Amino acid sequence: MNSALTQEELEQILNQAVQDITERTAGVRLHQGEQSPGEDLCTVHITFDRGFHTSLTLCADTSLLYRMARNSFHEELLEPEDLEEFGKEYLNVLCGRIASAMFQATRIPAHFNPPVFYHGRYEPEGREIQFVLTYSNEYNEGAQLIHHVPCPEDGNGAEGTLTEGSI
Amino acid sequence: MKKRVMVVDDSRLVRVQLQDALAGTDYEVAAYCRSGEDAVAQYDSVNPDLVTMDIIMPGMDGIDAAKMILKEHPDARIVMISSLAYEDTFERARKIGTRGFVDKPFYQEQLLKVFGEALD
Repeated sequence: MNSALTQEELEQILNQAVQDITERTAGVRLHQGEQSPGEDLCTVHITFDRGFHTSLTLCADTSLLYRMARNSFHEELLEPEDLEEFGKEYLNVLCGRIASAMFQATRIPAHFNPPVFYHGRYEPEGREIQFVLTYSNEYNEGAQLIHHVPCPEDGNGAEGTLTEGSI
Repeated sequence: MKKRVMVVDDSRLVRVQLQDALAGTDYEVAAYCRSGEDAVAQYDSVNPDLVTMDIIMPGMDGIDAAKMILKEHPDARIVMISSLAYEDTFERARKIGTRGFVDKPFYQEQLLKVFGEALD
């Protein structure tokens, strides 16, 4: 049984999931780039347990998230709670796809907890950033998917091969 | 006459996507349920031709809800729709007697194919 993923493989899984799910659920094409979200942003955070102890944080320009939510819900006028509902559901579907792809690669079923939504930037405690995927759309609205791993207690970094329980 | 579908999913996104996917087809949404408990309670009164069932929902999950519906209505046609596309999830769903599995987000063509097979 192959129970390890390299960081490169994981980045590829995440990137494919982001581009495909965003286009299919929200009709928005995201391209990888360098442009970070601006000051007016929202964060949705989700943690994985059982299988992979990792977390994903999506930081996106509020305008981008509104655009995606409007397209998905087919409604022009949305309330802030609609934005929160969309952000959580989007990350849920995204993580389902990611968990399925990780299962295909490792045969390890992952479980993830309900997502949490924040207005502004949120950085989870006790975790460190392993890598960041940065995206923008045709309107120069930006988003980042941040992969966090638990802070090492023994001073060993989380680089290299990603194995069950550690990614 | 259109086939009546009972949609069991707590996600507004999925409800909108299903509505879009079924527009102009031989299917119509007969009822929405936001939880497994709601689905079990409403099944008799809705009496759908087909049920789409999410797996992860607050409270009773979709597998347990499907099991309860099938216990009372062994002929119920239930299709699971979930983003958790693991083989063991497919297997659990198949073992209790559900008729198909569609992973989220779905394409219309894939959805209608599974619906057709479930009703055969």
